[in-house]
Amino acid sequence: MNGPHIFRDFDIAIRNLKDEVLLMASLTRQNLERATRSLLERDIELSRVVIGDDSEVDDLKIRVDQSGMEILVRHHPVASDLRLVISSMKISTCLERISDHAVNIAKRSKKICKGPELTDVALVEPLYVMADNLLRDAMIAFTDHNVELAEGLKARDKELDRLHKSLIASLSDRLESSSGMAESLLHLIFVIRSLERVGDLAVNIGEDAVFLGSAQDIRHLSKKSQ
Amino acid sequence: MIAASTASAPRHSASSRAAVSVENLDFCYGTSKVLKKINLEIPANQVTALIGPSGCGKSTLLRCINRMNDEIPGAHVSAGRISLNGEDINGPEVDVVKLRSEVGMVFQKSNVFPRSIFENVAYGMQVRGEKNKAVIEQRVEEALRQAALWDEVKDRLHESGFGLSGGQQQRLCIARTIAVKPNIVLMDEPCSALDPIATLKVEELIWELRSQYTFIIVTHSMQQASRISDLTAFFYLGEVIEFDQTGKMFTNPSEKRTEEYISGRFG
Repeated sequence: MNGPHIFRDFDIAIRNLKDEVLLMASLTRQNLERATRSLLERDIELSRVVIGDDSEVDDLKIRVDQSGMEILVRHHPVASDLRLVISSMKISTCLERISDHAVNIAKRSKKICKGPELTDVALVEPLYVMADNLLRDAMIAFTDHNVELAEGLKARDKELDRLHKSLIASLSDRLESSSGMAESLLHLIFVIRSLERVGDLAVNIGEDAVFLGSAQDIRHLSKKSQ
Repeated sequence: MIAASTASAPRHSASSRAAVSVENLDFCYGTSKVLKKINLEIPANQVTALIGPSGCGKSTLLRCINRMNDEIPGAHVSAGRISLNGEDINGPEVDVVKLRSEVGMVFQKSNVFPRSIFENVAYGMQVRGEKNKAVIEQRVEEALRQAALWDEVKDRLHESGFGLSGGQQQRLCIARTIAVKPNIVLMDEPCSALDPIATLKVEELIWELRSQYTFIIVTHSMQQASRISDLTAFFYLGEVIEFDQTGKMFTNPSEKRTEEYISGRFG
């Protein structure tokens, strides 16, 4: 880790930016957890809370962009400071999208909860756990400049993708055989799709953490090596 | 760190031929060694910035390249060599006046002579014995155009150079330097006394002229180094800590001391 800047206001600005990103991540994870719980526990009120709380994440996204821009203008960051500003702004975009997926899950949950009880919702839990673990570790990699942890996320996301694929297949079969549950099953398929996207966005955050820690751009590496 | 043999492509495509080679250079003021084992391959037709805290030796190295330090009692190269096109500039047969016509220098403070604008630019040619008036006139115009000053002074060429603004005076000094067609232009904090607009004009000039001259610039402005240079060398306590592509130096320096200095953490 680097020492403090001679101009202390620069340190304060950097610390504030990081705090805003971490607060955003914390609220986003909370929204995702509540959205999933609202589905598993058939809690419509909790879904409404998630939909309402999304605006806090949106506001934080705007604050992160403003703080990042102000640092660029006032302090002309270079090297790891520059990478921190860039990665913070990019990560906040991913977090905002994850929170949007949480809202999508909450909206679908509301609709599912209004219908007859659907036992298949339990299938979502392991997928949520995998997605949330990816998001948690992506943020740890960002905070701790842990390149190794960040680089491992892509492989873990592949496991999530496999589970997503098998759940979609099994729910598609259920769609054909179920009567009167088709609409709820379709909503559930979209919930599963959202959780799969959360995994992808966590991987994106991990890529930004790699850039922050090592200045390497690992995006689309597999395509480039083909 | 790069060496001539391992340098990757610069951001401005140009010849990677070394204009200046500094090999294991030690330089002393009396018994005090101020440059220690300096190794730099400065490529031709590119801009190389020398950065570092005050007293780190960057200006001393700059002045070694055209032997300006010869004027300082006790100052001497104690080991190593500097070569231009393979020739040791400190060799006994080297004509220092000729060397300085090949290696021009622009200083921190513009040093306009108390003469007309025309005479300021023509001075170097006249000192070198050029008597043909047409040749001198043509070259003065060419140098003033290259220095992006012609349009501003063409109607008052015979007025005093002191009547120009600070930024114009510095560009006049650049015109005077390039009028004698040097291969290398050394610049020691050329914009430190200029306002931001005049600074940008000088920077634009350096950028435009880099295909014709090799620029080596000492600057304390990190923004200036990152804006206008292809390569940057970071000096500290008389040593080169890191020498690399400017883009790399300012996004991902290899050395912790470089990172700490350029990001304002030093000390």
